Order: sequence, then C-alpha cells, then structure tokens
Amino acid sequence: MSKQAMSQSPVLRRRETVVSYLFLLPALFFFVCFVVTPMAMGVVTSLTDSHMGGGSFVGLKNYVELFQDPVFLKSMVNTVIIVVVSVPVVTVFSLWVGSAIYEMRASARSFFRCVFYLPVVTGSVAVVVVWRWMFHTYNGLFNHLLTGAGILDRGFSFLGDPRTALACVILILFTTSIGQPIVLYVAALGNVDSSMVEAAEVDGATRMQIFWRIKWPAITPTTLYVVVITTINSFQCFALIQLLTSGGPNYATSTVMYYLYETAFRQYQYGYADAMGVVLAIVIALFSALQFKVMNGGATE
Amino acid sequence: MRLKKVLALLLALAMVFALASCTVEQNPTPTGGNDPGETTPGTETQQVSIEWWAFPTFGNATGYEEELIAAFNEVHPEIEVNLTIIDFTSGPQTLTAAIEADTAPDVLFDAPGRIIEYGKAGELADLNDIIGEASGDMSEAVLSACSDGTDYWMYPLSSAPFYMGINLEMFEAAGADQYLNLEGDRAWTTEDFQNACKALADAGYTPGIVYCGGQGGDQGTRALVSNLYGAAIANEDMSAYTMNSPEGVQAMTLLQEMVDAGYLDVATDMQAAQELEMFQTENCAMTFCWGTSNAISYHSDDFTQVSVPFPSDDGVPELETLYNGFCVFDNGDQAKIDAAKTFIQFICTDDEWGPKSVLQSGALPVTGTFEALDLYAGDEEMQLLSSWTQYYAPYYNTMDGFTTMRTEWWNMLQRVLANGGDPQTELDTYVTNSNAAITG
Repeated sequence: MSKQAMSQSPVLRRRETVVSYLFLLPALFFFVCFVVTPMAMGVVTSLTDSHMGGGSFVGLKNYVELFQDPVFLKSMVNTVIIVVVSVPVVTVFSLWVGSAIYEMRASARSFFRCVFYLPVVTGSVAVVVVWRWMFHTYNGLFNHLLTGAGILDRGFSFLGDPRTALACVILILFTTSIGQPIVLYVAALGNVDSSMVEAAEVDGATRMQIFWRIKWPAITPTTLYVVVITTINSFQCFALIQLLTSGGPNYATSTVMYYLYETAFRQYQYGYADAMGVVLAIVIALFSALQFKVMNGGATE
Repeated sequence: MRLKKVLALLLALAMVFALASCTVEQNPTPTGGNDPGETTPGTETQQVSIEWWAFPTFGNATGYEEELIAAFNEVHPEIEVNLTIIDFTSGPQTLTAAIEADTAPDVLFDAPGRIIEYGKAGELADLNDIIGEASGDMSEAVLSACSDGTDYWMYPLSSAPFYMGINLEMFEAAGADQYLNLEGDRAWTTEDFQNACKALADAGYTPGIVYCGGQGGDQGTRALVSNLYGAAIANEDMSAYTMNSPEGVQAMTLLQEMVDAGYLDVATDMQAAQELEMFQTENCAMTFCWGTSNAISYHSDDFTQVSVPFPSDDGVPELETLYNGFCVFDNGDQAKIDAAKTFIQFICTDDEWGPKSVLQSGALPVTGTFEALDLYAGDEEMQLLSSWTQYYAPYYNTMDGFTTMRTEWWNMLQRVLANGGDPQTELDTYVTNSNAAITG
C-alpha cells in the first residue's frame, strides 16, 4: 500500500488528529487558563463596581463614565499619539538600518545588531535611570550641552514641561523598540531569493526597483509582524511612564495602561480599571485588523 | 463527534485538576474566640505558621527582623513566622494583588494610610482586644491614627514627625542664616522663610525645589502649603478636605509668586526621592521631605544638615506625622489571627524587644511606658524631635478618599506652580475631586 493511501486511511487520519490535539493540549490549557479566562473575567468585572472589599453589578455604567472622564480621554489621546508616531518611525528606521547592515560583513552585522538590541535586553529601570539623568534639569547631559552652547540660560525641564514630556517618552520608547525589528529585518532580507535579485541586476534594475519589486514583497510578512507588535507594545507602554513621569506633568504623558494601573492599584477601583482594559483591547484589535487589511494579511503576492 | 467529546472531557479534567491544585490550602481549624496569647487546653503543641510581610522600616538587610523572630520563637516556639520584606516601590502593588488573590500575609508592618483602607474594606481582623489592653498607655492622637473611628486596625510601634532639612553652610554663605532660629524648638516664620529663600537665590543657590512629579513624599509639600498661613488640610471631624480656604489660596499664591521670582524652583519631573538627592548632593539648600529615615538614607558628611520645622505665619508649626505599626489580615483562620496578634504584641510591648524595635525603627515611642525609658538619652537630634510631638497636626491619613486626594494634590501643584493656574480655581478643583472620593 502506498504512503499516500495510508495517510488517507480514516483510522490513521483520526490517530494523527488525536496526536495533534494532544500536542496542542498543554498550550491550549495554558492559553485558556491564563489568557482566555482572565480576559473573560475582566469583561465581567468591567460590568461591576468591583473595589477592594466587594462590588456589585452596574451594567455599562463604567463605560459611560469612562467616556466622560477627562483624564481617560487625555490618556487615550496620548496613547494614540504614541502609537501613530512610534509605529511608522520604528518600522521605517528598522527597515533602513536592517537594509544597511545586512549587506555588511558578518562581524560588522553582528556588532550593529548587538548595539541596537542592547536597549531591548537592558532592564527598563536601568534604561530609565540613564535617560532620566540625561534629561535632568540641573545636572543632565542635554542641559549641560544646551547651556554650554549658549542656547539655554538655565536648565530646561524636558520631562516636566507638557510640550516636551510626551516627545521624550516617545524617544525612549523608540530606542527600546527598534532592536527586535532590526534583527527580524536582517533575517528576512537574508532570506530573499538572491537569484531573483541577481537576475534583476542583470536586467538593469536600479537598487530602488530591486528593493520595491523584489525585496519589499518578500519581507511583507515580517513588516506586518513588526507593525502589529510595535503597535501593541506602544499601546501598552507603561513601565517607562511609571518610572519616568508618573503620567505627568498634569497627565501630559498619561496613557491608558498607566491610568488603568493607577485606578486599579492606587484607587482600588477594579471594575472601572477593567472597563479601561476592555476598551484598550478593542482599540488594539481594531488597529491590528486595520493593519492586516491594509497590508493584505502579510501576503507576499 | 466522539473524538471531540473525548478531547473536551480531557480538557475539562485538566482544568479541574489545575484549579484544584491552584486552590489555596485552607487550615480547617474552626474559628473561635481565643484571646491572643492564651493557650487552649489540649492545644499546647499545635503549630501555627504565619506570614509576616514588612516594608524595610527596620532598615535594609539589617537582619533585625530575623533576630526578632528568633527571640519570639524562644518564647513562642509553637508559632512559626515566615518573613518577606517588600519594598516601597512595588510593595503596595504586591499587597493589592495578594489581597485580591486571597494570599495576603497574616501580619503586615506598614503605616496607617494603607492599613486603615484595608480595614475599611473588610480585609483585616480588628485589634480592639489588644489595643484595648494598651490604650491607657497611648495618647488619643496615636489611638485615632490606628482607627477608622469604629475599630482599631493598626497596633502602633513608633512615630516621628516630618519636617524640613537645610544646608547650614549654604545658608551661612548666602547670609540667610540670620532668618533661621537654631535655638529651642527652631520654629521660624513664613516671612523668615521668604527672606531666606530670596537671600539664597540672590547668592546663586537653588533655595528649594517644590517637587510634584508624583505622590512620593507628597506629605512634605502639603505640610509646606498648610503651614505657611495655617490652612487646614481637612475639617475638624475629618469629613472633608478644606485646603481651598483663604489661607490655602494665600499660601499657594505665595509659592507661585516665589517660583515666578526665582526664589523657589518647581519640579514636575521629581518626587521626594529626587529632591532629597538634590539636597544630599548640595544642589539645593533645603528639602521639604526630611524625616528620621530620610536623615539616615540621605545623610552627607560634606555639609551640616539641620532639621527645622515648617515655617508658619504665627511661628507655631503643625507637623505631619509618620506612624509605624502592624495589622493582622483576616485570612479566615482564627488560630493564625491569634498567633499574629501574639507576635505583634511581642514586638511592640516586650520589655526587651519593644524598646529595641522602637530604636530600630529610628522613631519615637508611642507609649508612656517606653517614653519613660528615655530611649534617646544623650541624642540631641531625637530629643529635639521628641519636643516637636507637641506640634503634631491632626492626622488625616485615615480619611476616606485619602488615595484620591494624594493624586489630586500633586496634579494641583503642577497646574498652579508650573502651568500658572489660578490658585483658587485649582484648589477648588483639588478639593472638589478629593471630596467626591469621600462620598464615593
């Protein structure tokens, strides 16, 4: 009996299916326990006024209040600004760096990969401590340079001024976000069919034509992954803000994730915080769906 | 279909098994009314294990907690105490998560702000019985800090005022020391404070930094504002926040003018820790968050750090107070509750370890018995602080809406001092939002 005929046998097919499900079972178990169940619990809690010591069902009251809460609305606007600015910048910069270094010698490529990946593996606290020092009003590097060059008379509070605080957060987020996309792009560009590139070069295609006609379609799935992951990470920006600005000045750097944390762990209003979480999840899902749609689901053709 | 049923059954069994293994083991000991420390006949050898979570109030990695447990076990070998030190940064979050997951510790060493909130939320076992035994030895102010008005939730160990610290050499170099009172209780006036700040600024120093980048150390800036013209933070019966009074507005207006004139700095990106670092590294001449523990943590041998009370218009300061104490979580096991109460009584009242613990906390005793021991004999600084207990302000940290009020506070400071907001308008907003949290 041929191999193909064996694989079509109902008994064997069922056995393979059972084995597949059994392999999936541990992952499914953890997914259900630690992702699906908490999400469901979060949705249910968002319909209550749950707080430390109790809570009762309040229907959609939390959601109504949420959209009348100026701090939440400001936090949502800040969050969207972070996403809208950081996602394209991170993606384009990573692609540019990835394209530049993947053609280098292996040692040089590894060096640059390490340099750009370093902020990713460095702990948030260490990163924030260094940046906080650089932005410091009295002893900071930037203020030393600016006052030394005569541009400023005295130290400027970069993190304390509403006009610059969010930009500072985005800058730091940028440095910690580009590492992984660069590594991914270098790997993806390395997988582009070199025979097609060589054929295009023989046919007289310019570098830009080769990039847009051959390389870009080949790395579209990577780009989609980078865009989606960067979007989600930007939406969930929390540690930087908690450690750097506490959402200030006057909520200028507050994000939904930070406000959610404040509401849950400082005010103990779990129901209200969960409502924020649900709204944030919906917004992230909508953004991600839009990105899938725009990028044709990452299809290479 | 059959295959799906089998898989569904397997999945359900796996989930049930996991949930069962995740369930916290509950001690089946029935709840009873045993007095703490009292041994029930027939249960002398019953071992009880309790969890003790402590903020590092006894110091960082000093090993004192372990010594304390060892000494306690010599007297009570039947009670096993497991220690966990939590830090001030992530500790509150860890506690909240533990409480909601029903894995709260049995004993917590903290301060009234959080403890009273946990008590009001029904998470704690009341300490009415053991506080009742000692209440005659404590002042009304101390007792009220441990209660929500109905029950006692915290057993106090020690207390200390919050005050200001100044760099004496900077004051002297700027000629600002003429405005200081370094005699007696060191009380000084609002006018002295203004003149000192002006002299320091004119001499090229940064006089002081009004930090408002978060709630860390916010009691310092609140004490500064309330003292300048005698504004009450809350009303007498602690039912409403009242800082939008004419005195409060006057104080905020003065600070705004001083910031605008360059006699004070405002830092919307700093909390007390950063301001204290600036003071320690001689980048500013005063700190608004000085206290017994900060005086140790931010000590410097490079200059003379002098403790002074907050300036006030009548020269009579009202100082915020730090209380250190213990609470007992009600985890549904009376044996653990009783053991926890026995343990905290040992720490706070034992003839040997009670005074030792007060000293280790770096604060002042709260009972007449320990005060009479003159624990800080020969220590001029602690004697001075002890004399300031007469200036303790009404304790508002146990009020409803306290956490919301704190968030509203530093945001109000930012709007007035950094964004040029109208003091009256912004204080009204602060008070309205804070009081809204009281009424829920």
